[in-house]
Amino acid sequence: MDRHNPINSEPGILNLSHAQVFVYMLLAVITILFLFLTNAYVFRMNFEDWQPLPMPSLLWVNTCSLVVASMGMAWATRGAKKKNQTSLKTGLLLGGLFALFFLTGQFWAWQQLVEYGYLLANNPANTFFYLITALHGLHISCGVVAWMVITKKSWNPNTDTPSPSQVSLLATYWHYLLLIWVMMFGLFLST
Amino acid sequence: MEQSAAYEGQQVYHPKGWWGHYVFSQDHKIIALQYTCVALAIGLTGMFLSLMMRMQLGFPGLFDSIDAGNYYQDVTMHGMIMVIYLLTALFLGGFGNYLIPLMLGSRDMAFPFVNMLSFWVYFLSVIILSASFFVPSGPTGAGWTLYPPQSILEGTPGGDGAGILLMLISLAVFIIAFTMGGLNYITTVLQSRARGMTLMRMPLIIWCIFLATFLGLLAFPALFVGAIMLTFDRVLETSFFMPEIFKGGEVLDYGGGSPVLFQHLFWFFGHPEVYIIALPAFGIISELISCHARKNIFGYNMMVWALVAIAGISFIVWAHHMYVAGMNPYLGFFFATTTLIIAVPTAIKVYNWVLTLWHANIKMTVPMLYCLAFLITFLIGGLTGLFLGNVSVDVPLSDTYFVVGHFHMVMAVSPVLALYGGLYHWFPSVTGRMLDDRLGKIHFWITFVGTYLIYFPMHYIGFLGVPRRYYSNEQYDFIPQSVADLNQFITICALIVGASQFILLYNFVNSTIRGKKASKNPWGACTLEWQTLESPPGHGNWGDQLPVVYRWPYDYGLPGATADFVPQNVPDEQIT
Repeated sequence: MDRHNPINSEPGILNLSHAQVFVYMLLAVITILFLFLTNAYVFRMNFEDWQPLPMPSLLWVNTCSLVVASMGMAWATRGAKKKNQTSLKTGLLLGGLFALFFLTGQFWAWQQLVEYGYLLANNPANTFFYLITALHGLHISCGVVAWMVITKKSWNPNTDTPSPSQVSLLATYWHYLLLIWVMMFGLFLST
Repeated sequence: MEQSAAYEGQQVYHPKGWWGHYVFSQDHKIIALQYTCVALAIGLTGMFLSLMMRMQLGFPGLFDSIDAGNYYQDVTMHGMIMVIYLLTALFLGGFGNYLIPLMLGSRDMAFPFVNMLSFWVYFLSVIILSASFFVPSGPTGAGWTLYPPQSILEGTPGGDGAGILLMLISLAVFIIAFTMGGLNYITTVLQSRARGMTLMRMPLIIWCIFLATFLGLLAFPALFVGAIMLTFDRVLETSFFMPEIFKGGEVLDYGGGSPVLFQHLFWFFGHPEVYIIALPAFGIISELISCHARKNIFGYNMMVWALVAIAGISFIVWAHHMYVAGMNPYLGFFFATTTLIIAVPTAIKVYNWVLTLWHANIKMTVPMLYCLAFLITFLIGGLTGLFLGNVSVDVPLSDTYFVVGHFHMVMAVSPVLALYGGLYHWFPSVTGRMLDDRLGKIHFWITFVGTYLIYFPMHYIGFLGVPRRYYSNEQYDFIPQSVADLNQFITICALIVGASQFILLYNFVNSTIRGKKASKNPWGACTLEWQTLESPPGHGNWGDQLPVVYRWPYDYGLPGATADFVPQNVPDEQIT
């Protein structure tokens, strides 16, 4: 029996589990956070001193890494549901490692911009770019911590393998952060 | 009373040792107490700061230690402490943590570990905030709204040191704590209700805390973004909010930013914040008024929908705080309209409380006294809000003591009255003892009458055009002598009211140790927190079996029943 859904309770909303409600609400909060950043960005870009910065082409590679990471997580979810350990482990590894590639790539992109002289405080467009990518990276990093816990669990023979719902929620988080990145990257490219 | 036949098998975290029981506890009741104690402690600091301000205003120059700089620091810290670290934390962290699982028939919060983490992160934010009192040049004196550019420039009181930085970091940490707690409250309300506890059978206070949490989760990110961007402007000399600034004939490194952008971010959070505080106060009043008037709440469904409407509309009124910021007049018209519209669901609530009292068997207990005081105070504070909601009236009254009088009535005194009523009402559930009634009434009358003597004259001073935030009113021809006399009077009242709060503290400590033992359900309430096996409720709340709910939470004076109340977990066939 699910420890959080004893038989003597009212059924949860929309048959969701506790963890699903928690994570979906968290994603709503994250959405609001990036929405406010976008609002502030659009507000500020109408001022005279705004000078858009060129996007390093490395960001396209990073975006692909995040897509592969997301696909890996989808694969892991399928593996967990079908109790296929190989796909679970391979999917998790792909998901986590490509997320780490993404983080490294983002850091590298920062380095490139600094080398070209696009420093953080030079222009509000630069500051927004660094701030938004940093906050997005921070959210990915928090996801990586959860990924480490679940991956360790799937490798450790002494513990239960992670449940399909856990892996699926982790994958949802990955997909969602990919979506947010695509939106933010789109914002940078279009302005 | 029928309990479920089946053993639930719900595992509850079991604390190990003294530290696990009382310090790093994951039990919602202990976490609620921890939140309450820390919030009250920092709240006392906030009250002390307000008394320092009053001493300067009432008796200018009496204390050499109060200069213009630390007057502004006191103003800033008083505002921020009271709004965020006392009221938000106490209503949601304190009352929310204690009441949600008990009133819904759950064993604990959905995620007890995250709940514990939420308290400790909140505690950390309080420590960071308090640390700013001890850094060189002290806390920030930028005003609680922290408007740039002055909030991060060096000329501002406390601006040379780390005060503003500690404030911004503390706010960001608080928001992280709130998010952890808030996600827990939402999940628990949606997922962990006892059988039969449908959403429309939840006590109104749970609805209020639930919606206030929603508001918090959606509004706090705006402050978070604002705080981070302001930190960037301060530390890295970026120009999100900073326009071109000349200092001593020299241009600073800033340029091109918009201070109004910060105001939008701040008030997008700031106005819902008013309701984050007001909604739990509404909830407490709804519970108390029904229980102590021995009558069902009038218009439960209407109350719930009014709450939902207030929560929704509260997101589109924020710019009524910015009428004088150079806003487009059409925009002002829009925000004035929404501000007046939000008065409609709020008035529905007030009418329903009054109608609940109509022909009721009103018991003049201390909680009921606080309810009645709340109704009057909230009405008065709300009515002056209608003045200020109109652009044409707001412009001349903006930044005068009228505004100070208004918002203290509506979002300081009113919530605090509800808070005190709630503390008196639920104290027996927490400690198993009653608070002293006589001391309670003395404390009530001093607080109630005293706050009116403090804030009523401020409206008059405001009409005279006396600006708020001024350190000294002595050198202005347009301010008559009567204002100085009134300020003296207000200060004396404030000192008496401030001192009387120690009656409450004494009552707490004394009654916890020596108070009269409370019966299991001393007020004869219908809600589940009074129907636990043990009183005060033990770890896991419900013994082996969770309760089953058969009715709404306000079955007072049910026709055909001998007792004048029927608890939520009593089925129809067991009513005698």
